[in-house]
Amino acid sequence: MFKGIAASRGIGIGSVCVIVEHDLKFEAKKIEDIQAEKERFNKAVEEFITETTAQAEDIRKKIGPKEAEILEGHIVMISDPSMAGEMTKMIDSGQCAESAVEAVCDMFIGMFSKMDDDMMRQRASDISDVKISMLKILLGIKDIDISKVAPGTVLVAKDLTPSMTSQINKENVVGILTEVGGKTSHSAILARALEIPAVLSVPDITKLVKDKDTAIVDGTEGNVYINPEGDVLSQYILKREEFIKKQSELKGFLGKETKTLDGDTVELFCNIGTPKDAKKAIECDGEGIGLFRSEFLFMDNNHMPTEDEQFAAYKEATEIMGGKPVIIRTLDIGGDKDIPYLNMKKEENPFLGYRAVRYCLGNKDSYMIQLRAIVRASAFGKVKIMIPLVTCVDELRAVKELVEEIKKDFDEQGIAYDKDIEVGCMIETPAASLIADILAKEADFFSIGTNDLTQYTMSVDRGNADVAYLYSTFQPSVLRSIKNIIECGRKAGIPVGMCGEAAADPMLIPLLISFGLTEFSVNPVLVLTARCVISKWSKEEADKLAEKVMALDNEKEIVALLKESAKE
Amino acid sequence: MVSQVVKVTNEQGMHMRPASLFCQTVTPFSSDVKVVFNGTAYDAKSVMMLMSACIKCGAEIEIQCDGPDEAEALKKAVELVESGLGD
Repeated sequence: MFKGIAASRGIGIGSVCVIVEHDLKFEAKKIEDIQAEKERFNKAVEEFITETTAQAEDIRKKIGPKEAEILEGHIVMISDPSMAGEMTKMIDSGQCAESAVEAVCDMFIGMFSKMDDDMMRQRASDISDVKISMLKILLGIKDIDISKVAPGTVLVAKDLTPSMTSQINKENVVGILTEVGGKTSHSAILARALEIPAVLSVPDITKLVKDKDTAIVDGTEGNVYINPEGDVLSQYILKREEFIKKQSELKGFLGKETKTLDGDTVELFCNIGTPKDAKKAIECDGEGIGLFRSEFLFMDNNHMPTEDEQFAAYKEATEIMGGKPVIIRTLDIGGDKDIPYLNMKKEENPFLGYRAVRYCLGNKDSYMIQLRAIVRASAFGKVKIMIPLVTCVDELRAVKELVEEIKKDFDEQGIAYDKDIEVGCMIETPAASLIADILAKEADFFSIGTNDLTQYTMSVDRGNADVAYLYSTFQPSVLRSIKNIIECGRKAGIPVGMCGEAAADPMLIPLLISFGLTEFSVNPVLVLTARCVISKWSKEEADKLAEKVMALDNEKEIVALLKESAKE
Repeated sequence: MVSQVVKVTNEQGMHMRPASLFCQTVTPFSSDVKVVFNGTAYDAKSVMMLMSACIKCGAEIEIQCDGPDEAEALKKAVELVESGLGD
């Protein structure tokens, strides 16, 4: 078995086709007829542009505009005065076209691959693609036509260039193996878009296989088997069927309401960090935004974002969601999140210090800017305000007062906003959990943040390897806390959500259903999985399990029982 | 020569698409257009040069225009950056 990076999920089993790397060596020669050489070069550029335009068009149809842009970028690159222009200059000085292409491209590859920015380093591989394509045209080398490979082919290549990927036919290619590339490389993105299992960065894979070998590509685990034994093969054939069945089952949940087995509806929202993520939430069929972390606006900046800048971001997300709820968490900094320009003091104990709502209420001027921006955005959809790290009712009251102040001001100035804009609390401290009944009387909703709740309840720094074993949402103390929060919310008749990672955990979902959680907020890619798991539990069955779980006195047994009972 | 300092506010910074757009906008002008960042001047009519500057969101850049239509070129360039470079 060989290991690589699991880049596109699923299992592919098929017959190997190795894409041979052409030797692009050439002999640099001194050019006599410079005019003719320039014409040869210009013709190659023209051919490159024609070919690439066609491939981009192909990708646009097969995969999408974003992926096509990569190839259109190659056209921009070759046409650039610093590329074609510099190459022409070199030909003018008597060098052959191949040398000119190589020298200029290598110069840029060297420059871009040294940058301290991931996306910029990616450009180095784009320039390398341009170089290879140009040299092939100049040297008259034709690639094999990937679009014509036989059905059931596993493509094996050193790297898949976007131009190769554009020719991949989903019907014929069942798996992809390469020697380079990671989860975010072009080949990975394209493989995922085409839903073809792929394992990348498998060392020397092009040398380890030959055409017609049988290969298993496990793109979920990153495993590769070449000419596997019978039992491995039959095991994987089974695994492949299960995966395909699961995928089609999950697709069946697209566009459906989120319901338990009894038909009770719950809300299934998404956690996002930027307005653009809202698009992802829609694509993944999220029913709203349960947590919009507003920190990005502050972190990716060198100054306090103005009211207008913040308003634009909140409005964008709200409009993308088109009337679906958008719960915006106000600035949650401090602890492990620092923002240089705020000049926050270094603290002995930052997680117990001046952070989140404490900082915000201590810096009312800047907090008002954020609240005003959020209230303004409420005119464009269903916006809600969520306060992080609440520990006493005074904090909730203080924020609500500020919101009332803003509303009054907006009324006077005739600024539009949603008069019913809700203000809710994150419940993520033991303090808030213990007074959940008090908070529930004045909060419009609750949202449980499992990461902080677990850390504070267990008094454990999960970054500290010596104590990390204690960090578990399945500790009886944490589960009791979650149960109490949900029950208090329900008694007061307010919705209770959960926006930590745990909301999508198949082990925790039955307990949440039993306790009566009304809103699950998960990473967009987990929407369908969570919807599927929720659909498999009836209240009665969940209650039975919860009763057993809550009677256990230690985390190990709880985890064992939940694991055994989990439905995927 | 005219010049102005502006802040790059789009999330991606001067990546492929924003850089292309910037380039397309200034190329029709006959003035020389340069972007000065971290003490180096980059030819703004070249996408490759613009990208090689590795300008990220939040960076302050100086746009310099020199030529017969410099005022108009500068105005257009500044407007584009301020509007978020098409992002």
